Amino acid sequence: MIDLKFSEIIKQNAALGNALEGGYEIGVLSNIIVSQIKPILEYNLRTQGIPANCIIGDYDNILQDAVSMSKMNAVLIFWELANWVDGFQYRSNLLSDDQTEEYIARFKSEIDYVLSHLKDTPLIIINKFSTLAFNQFAIGEDNFDRICETLNAYLKTKSASNIVVVDTSKVISQLSVERAISFRDYYSSKALYTVDFLKHYTQFITPVISTINGKRKKAIIFDCDNTLWEGIIGEDGIDGIKMSASSPKGVVFEEVQFLAKKLAADGILVCLNSKNNPGDIDEVFSNHSDLSLTNDEVIVKKINWDKKVKNLADISEELNIGTDSFVFVDDSDFEINLVNQYQPEITTIQVPKEKYLYPALIRRHLNLFYSPDRTKEDKARVKMYQQQKEREEKKAAFENIDEYLASLDLQVDIFVDKIELVPRLAQLTQKTNQFNLTTRRYTESEMLSFTKSDNYLVFAFGVKDKYGDFGITGLSVVELKGTNAVIDTLLMSCRVLGRNIEQQFLDEIIKALATKGVDTVRAEYCRTQKNDQVSDFYDKLGFVLQKADGPRKEYTISVPAYQNHSLTYIAINHA
Amino acid sequence: MHEQVKQIMSAVFDIPADQISDTSSPDTIEKWDSLNHMNLVSSLEEEFDVRFTDEEITEMLNFKLIVLILQQKKS
Repeated sequence: MIDLKFSEIIKQNAALGNALEGGYEIGVLSNIIVSQIKPILEYNLRTQGIPANCIIGDYDNILQDAVSMSKMNAVLIFWELANWVDGFQYRSNLLSDDQTEEYIARFKSEIDYVLSHLKDTPLIIINKFSTLAFNQFAIGEDNFDRICETLNAYLKTKSASNIVVVDTSKVISQLSVERAISFRDYYSSKALYTVDFLKHYTQFITPVISTINGKRKKAIIFDCDNTLWEGIIGEDGIDGIKMSASSPKGVVFEEVQFLAKKLAADGILVCLNSKNNPGDIDEVFSNHSDLSLTNDEVIVKKINWDKKVKNLADISEELNIGTDSFVFVDDSDFEINLVNQYQPEITTIQVPKEKYLYPALIRRHLNLFYSPDRTKEDKARVKMYQQQKEREEKKAAFENIDEYLASLDLQVDIFVDKIELVPRLAQLTQKTNQFNLTTRRYTESEMLSFTKSDNYLVFAFGVKDKYGDFGITGLSVVELKGTNAVIDTLLMSCRVLGRNIEQQFLDEIIKALATKGVDTVRAEYCRTQKNDQVSDFYDKLGFVLQKADGPRKEYTISVPAYQNHSLTYIAINHA
Repeated sequence: MHEQVKQIMSAVFDIPADQISDTSSPDTIEKWDSLNHMNLVSSLEEEFDVRFTDEEITEMLNFKLIVLILQQKKS
């Protein structure tokens, strides 16, 4: 996108806009002119499958727009300190201490006003205040800088799960002030930032919006030779490969391995896909003293002579996550081109010819794995997949699946309207794509209001077995309407698929609804690109199809007619 | 150069390039408002690797003038 000309972006965005339905609305609040971000941001998100619609607020109407745009999916705030009060970049330096305090108090109350009106907006992206455009050559600090710092410190105290504070100086540093700032347009029409800046800024913040739309990358897959270490096992031998900071050629590879270790620690799935003899790679992982990455940090190893594209598809199946959430790293043009051609949804990184650029190149891509706050589940994910490997190995030894499931000692804890679970439940609605009947995304505050409401019941479950704890992995939001109940949301993380837990969960939901006097349950399935596997979920459970309307199917079942599954191998606890 | 300018105006103002003539101006092109004028300036600067002055920007009042200003800058 960065390399695309602005007129080309406008043109292609207009073409994409016509093809898209629905919309992810982003309000842009600003006290300067940034309207040129509209086609750039829309284009960048639309090409990722997010049907973005950018609405530029009125000039210098941040407070008013915070009220009128609070219902949008996201807001972006460009609050330029220099234009908070006309000419503040020079006027601020002649203020007395008392006057300075007055301004700071006023700015703080405006920040409070805006953020409190946006408290239910799922995502607020706000830029840090900056003096860089005006003070880049100043050695000392002036009053403008001090006010800026005070306000940034204040902004920090406002942290909340829906607020992301963006440091625009990082974006400006990618370009230089000269290329990022246009004084010509600032003094003629209050447009401080150049199109070049807006492109880089858009690139910078896109991962935040992608993540909330469930488009975050979840796995990184490395080739081995000349990717995890310098050299080729088949030619240089196991003792000839280099990956230690103590050797000039190995130093960058040690750094890349540590970047991979950190990703694993953050819950990103690190895998290998390499044309090699499996025995050689095993030998490196068990015995090479310079290897920093460990066996436990690598979730799947595809070491064989198969096509890499096939291995990537196999890894996707094994981990039960789509290839669109993969990043693939390899040194070979040939392999990278094949993946780009056959699996364009995978982000590829080619090890640069100048090896000293390699760690920086990986760092540049780390935003693809961006997550606002890593929950306990994120961090435990790697461990969980390790336990999963053990289960899979066991599975092979059993005659039939029930026998295997019985051997797992499955325990399911059922929770109803549990306020402590709200952050995790909101996250599940935002991230779960496959086993999700209606794919409605909810914010923490929406989930909280369901939990507190008498008209809704929020069911959740946690799963444990003898190998480990999956944590909270499924939920259902049910609306009560007298003797009717409507299943608004039913979803389950794909980590616990294949255990029939969903059947038992539905048994528990129907039982609970029966005690509330419900006699008919309504449910629906809304088709998305990813939830085909549950298209006949309700049919299989005996629900009666009432209406099929395009991507939507509506069902009902009468409570007495519902057949409990009563699976003996799942122990239910009501927590 | 004429063709490049037409292509850019076509993209920015969302009209077919063959509808653009020497006298095409804010009066004849519906989407030629002040915001799209900014988009036009940014696009031309990117395409021709030039930087216009304030005066030049306000003088770009129709297709013919745009081409003229660009020719002066490039010569």
